[in-house]
Amino acid sequence: MSIARHWRRRHNLYRLIGTRCRSCGRTFYPQAQRCIYCGSSDVEQARIDGEARLLSYSIVYSVTDEARYEAPVILGLVEVGGVKLITEITDASPGELEVGMRLEPVLRKVSIHGESGLIYYAVKFRPAMGGGGSGED
Amino acid sequence: MAWISGVGMVRINRHYQKGLRDLAVEAASQALRDAGIDGVDYVVVASSSSYKQVGQLDLAGYTASYLGLRGARSLAVEAGEASGLAGLLAAYSLVASGSADTVLLVGVDKLTEYNSGEAYDMIEGLYDIEGEGFYNIGHAGVAGLLMRLYMHEYGVDRLTMSYWPAVMHANAKQNPYAMLRFAVTPEKVASAMPLADPVTLLDSYPLGDGAAAVVITKRPGQVRIAGVETATGLPSPAHRDDPLYLESVAEAVSRLGLSREELEGIDVMEIHDSFTITAYMILETLGLSDKGRAAKDLAEGKYTVEGGGPVMNPSGGLKARGHPIGATGVYQLAEVTMQLRGDFPGVKVDGARRGMVISMNAMGSSAYTALLQAE
Repeated sequence: MSIARHWRRRHNLYRLIGTRCRSCGRTFYPQAQRCIYCGSSDVEQARIDGEARLLSYSIVYSVTDEARYEAPVILGLVEVGGVKLITEITDASPGELEVGMRLEPVLRKVSIHGESGLIYYAVKFRPAMGGGGSGED
Repeated sequence: MAWISGVGMVRINRHYQKGLRDLAVEAASQALRDAGIDGVDYVVVASSSSYKQVGQLDLAGYTASYLGLRGARSLAVEAGEASGLAGLLAAYSLVASGSADTVLLVGVDKLTEYNSGEAYDMIEGLYDIEGEGFYNIGHAGVAGLLMRLYMHEYGVDRLTMSYWPAVMHANAKQNPYAMLRFAVTPEKVASAMPLADPVTLLDSYPLGDGAAAVVITKRPGQVRIAGVETATGLPSPAHRDDPLYLESVAEAVSRLGLSREELEGIDVMEIHDSFTITAYMILETLGLSDKGRAAKDLAEGKYTVEGGGPVMNPSGGLKARGHPIGATGVYQLAEVTMQLRGDFPGVKVDGARRGMVISMNAMGSSAYTALLQAE
């Protein structure tokens, strides 16, 4: 991971900024200059927020050296306000996870840069506080 | 029009005794010998992980030089896990356009120069580094997400999922070029060490080094390249309405212009089974199995020499033959060519006339396919 790249993407990673296409109406993550669906350059930055649900998850044991102290990592396929993205799940043990459960965003450490010791942060998701449990319907 | 006139393969393994160049020269020399030639117009080298793992740039130039092909034209191609077939597209285009009479395509990659953590770091780069690749996805995390999604959506249990690796290991056991030449049961696959739960160690390809080569020529011979096609896809499976549908694979194959009967009538295929789930996604995307049915079809014997449908991965596939990232597509080409010539030294598909290769990067960021025909 590059320090410059992380700095450049800080808003994108800390506030979960994606892209909304004014032409076809689709919203996606991450930021892009043109729509990945229709090719239009009539796009704007869009905050990815709204109700979040867990569509699938994986408990990842085989990780890179930079992330070995984070293992196992819980990876999630999450739907946030109608936008699907792949992110990390935190503050949960694997046994608590259920497909369909409600989630909420939280800023957390992702990895530590090997040589500089710089800590990389980004939005992750955790089980929603205040109950609601599995929202599978 | 272009034909494949020679093939060469090095057994995929942890080749601590051999460098990237040794592997490339070994496979290429075999292919030149097999084709009965000692010179070519072009050397196309397909490689992916070597740029990070080995650190050699202008790999095509150095490979041509150390093959003793002084002055030959050279070109390197990189398309992640699909590099090998992307290399075929370049080689085929050179011959079909008349720019070259004969092209040597070499696929080579080395994954064991450092520990596996370093290899995972490189492999994460197969995914979008500004998308999911920023997170700690490892090499199997996205496969884990898609596998659980599939099992949940279609109600398929872990044991039923496990037939693919069992069949692949049985095939690889007879392939002298395969890395994992031992049998495993579905039960053993299901209960193996988790890499990215529900993906276990035995659902994944092994980390190995390898090189394969083919000679492509305008001179008519035994195996004709009947088509090469490609398509790009959305950057992440999360961008797809159905993350389990590989639109790039579907588009690339549809561009070959085959009818449904022609596709189902293909005798042998080598497909990109980087993980168990990837194989099922390809079979269902092609419509060879109904959605949610691929694992069950396989458990009932389909896709084997004894069963119905095209025979899938008689080599043992990425799963058990091995998957030296950028070299894999060239192994697939060499294997299908040998099946059509009738001299593949493992599980044989007797009388095979038509073969297909399907390759892709990550979970379909791009896909390539080749159709080969016995003449």
